[in-house]
Amino acid sequence: MSATPTSREQRILEIIDTARSKPRRFRDNQVTLAHGAGGKATRTLIEGLLVPAFSPPDGGTLRALADAGSIAVGGTRLAMTTDSFVVKPLRFPGGSIGELAVNGTVNDLAVSGARPLALSVSLILEEGLESEVLRAEVEAIAQAARAAGVEIVAGDTKVVERGAADGMYICTSGIGALDVRAALAPDSLKPADQVLVSGPVGEHGTAIMLARDQFDLDAEVESDTCSLWPAVDALLDAAGEELHCIRDATRGGAASVLNELARASRVSITVREAAVPISPVVHAAAELLGIDPMYLANEGRLIACVAPQAAARALEALRSVPGCERSAAIGEVRREPPGMVLVETSFGGRRVMDELVGDPLPRIC
Amino acid sequence: MKFVDEFRDAQLGRVLAGEILARVEPERHYKVMEVCGGHTHSIYKYGIDDLLPDNVELVHGPGCPVCVIPMGRVDDGIAVARHDGVIFTCFGDMLRVPGSEYTLLDAKAQGADVRMVYSPLDALRIARSEPDREVVFFAIGFETTAPSTALTLKRAKAEGIKNFSCICNHVTIVPPLRALLESPDMRLDGFIGPGHVCTVVGARPFEFIPADYARPVVISGFEPLDILQSILMILSQLAEGRCEVENQYTRVVPREGNLRALEVLAEVFELRPHFEWRGLGFISQSALKLSSAYRDFDAEERFQVPGVRVADPKACQCGEVLKGVIKPWECKVFGTACTPEHAIGTCMVSPEGACAAYYNFGRFARERTAV
Amino acid sequence: MSGDACDPTGRCITCSDEGVPMRVVSLSGEGAVCVDDDGISHEGVAVELVEPVAPGDRVLVHAGVAIG
Repeated sequence: MSATPTSREQRILEIIDTARSKPRRFRDNQVTLAHGAGGKATRTLIEGLLVPAFSPPDGGTLRALADAGSIAVGGTRLAMTTDSFVVKPLRFPGGSIGELAVNGTVNDLAVSGARPLALSVSLILEEGLESEVLRAEVEAIAQAARAAGVEIVAGDTKVVERGAADGMYICTSGIGALDVRAALAPDSLKPADQVLVSGPVGEHGTAIMLARDQFDLDAEVESDTCSLWPAVDALLDAAGEELHCIRDATRGGAASVLNELARASRVSITVREAAVPISPVVHAAAELLGIDPMYLANEGRLIACVAPQAAARALEALRSVPGCERSAAIGEVRREPPGMVLVETSFGGRRVMDELVGDPLPRIC
Repeated sequence: MKFVDEFRDAQLGRVLAGEILARVEPERHYKVMEVCGGHTHSIYKYGIDDLLPDNVELVHGPGCPVCVIPMGRVDDGIAVARHDGVIFTCFGDMLRVPGSEYTLLDAKAQGADVRMVYSPLDALRIARSEPDREVVFFAIGFETTAPSTALTLKRAKAEGIKNFSCICNHVTIVPPLRALLESPDMRLDGFIGPGHVCTVVGARPFEFIPADYARPVVISGFEPLDILQSILMILSQLAEGRCEVENQYTRVVPREGNLRALEVLAEVFELRPHFEWRGLGFISQSALKLSSAYRDFDAEERFQVPGVRVADPKACQCGEVLKGVIKPWECKVFGTACTPEHAIGTCMVSPEGACAAYYNFGRFARERTAV
Repeated sequence: MSGDACDPTGRCITCSDEGVPMRVVSLSGEGAVCVDDDGISHEGVAVELVEPVAPGDRVLVHAGVAIG
């Protein structure tokens, strides 16, 4: 062999890097639950099938893979997004499918830097659904919309045969006005940026897990579902253009968001494990089930990346928002190695926090 | 919480890391194998290899029973899962293991009733509550898990449950270790022993390693301080010229194991003459099947299974990687034919396997060396 | 088809040789109710392999069965 071991190793690493940076292709024979889990399979489905099919060849808003797309109408910039909710069970400690359906879409707008204005709501109901259950969810939708300050301006209802849906599914779409203070983009992270999280992670995922009762476990934890606009508003006020990106850490958890951002901005993100706020119950349940809480879903937590000089201000502003008192700075952006998220473990070692591969728990939202 | 936290103290970790550094000869390169996937996971989770001197290398062992299941066995499972009326149950980690064509997850998407359980007892509960369906449990795991299956079968038999059966893929840890040690090009200096396997089998089954192969073994717990301490104990044995089975995990592992569990295992299972391990080939007496007293619960007897052996591609060098003879990137198919998306051998199938870890995190390792 | 087997973010029950230390709270026909060190309770833990056990005893639980 002519090549020395080190140059051969180098060459192999380059082959891997090339293979990875190739556009993904959707080649699976059928859809599996992994395609909905928010990890690698989801990304392959989106980047390999949906985006190429829906986007004009020379770009298009969708390619940015942001939480909401933006459109300009006259002089106004609007953000638009849509989301479906299939959570099981319909009600769980701290929330329900109706509340999630409003907050999920409101939050996709909020973290894009848009003040949520209006929603549409589509209900897909299973034949036989008890009216009481429906009534309760309709009330939950109405209440969450009032709390978030959005009006429901359009809707649709469909009923499918028994067995063709699990109780009810909800789809919501939302429109918001992009805030003039915001200049947010997933590819705008800079080395030295600080990473903030707006409260303890993993509570929604844990609440659903325990509510499904498949583990014979009992513990008290509530979903964190809430509108994130007040938190975003406070951050924009405090940091303005020094705020580089905000994401809500839903499916796939904080780890998936950080991986997406590191890839989009071609930077590395280092997380200090000991600094991540987490409630004891979530920690315990995650430990027991062998799931890293950083991969557990949240429905009312955002991750913000902010320039170092504005970080303290931003954190203070965030903590003053009700529900975000336990916000924390959990890490920072570095240059190397690009596209990777590293963790300084509380034990003192370092490791890579990879993208989620499979799905610890389907139908979380 | 307290019970566990005292084994995760970062300060004590640094002290142990310092002692390890003081124990190694700078010129010597040490290869220590952690046999058990649980240790691999802790090492990853806490970043333990980051705390070790550069010349102490941890080699991931064959201790992931999921990843060593050969393609033919997965195909058999899928064939049973596709039978009309069958509820197929297995641990969640089995769902994504590739067979020759499909995974169990694919089979589920195609309509098979595949359900994830956390205990074989849950599978038995399903059988009780759905008496009109055939419930099959795909049993995998080392001696830690085999007692759960055995106990479940004992209950099923005692209750006369007719619609429950098992595809038994339980494997034993000693034969693959012996196979590794038998290899003339084996380059390992010592072993971190599998703590929870030893809870069941005790320390004695590992005594052949120092006796016949002159390599130290330290049975270890799973907390980061346990592992660092075990590494220190192995290095100390090497430095002092000792060679024995030591038990770091005395708070859980009794030297003789769990005799009652061993009795139950002996009643419910018997050794298979040989069993194929993905990447390692056939290893004799390395797996369990149901004993004649439990034949009625053997799904392989109850259902038509193809039982076709699917050969590992020849180019796969998992065995060499496991023995520490070559690095992952030195394998002929690494990164080209064998990738995490299309894994060939066990080291790539498991994300914690040496090859998958190198594929995913190799750039990180390179950066670390540069620093 | 995906080649990824276990979940890199978490332990699989089997491959990690996982065991959870728990304390027995009460015993019934279906097994023991146990709590782990974080106070989470588990029902139906099989204890045949570690009998005799009494409330207060510590056991190591793997896949729903106390093995040590």
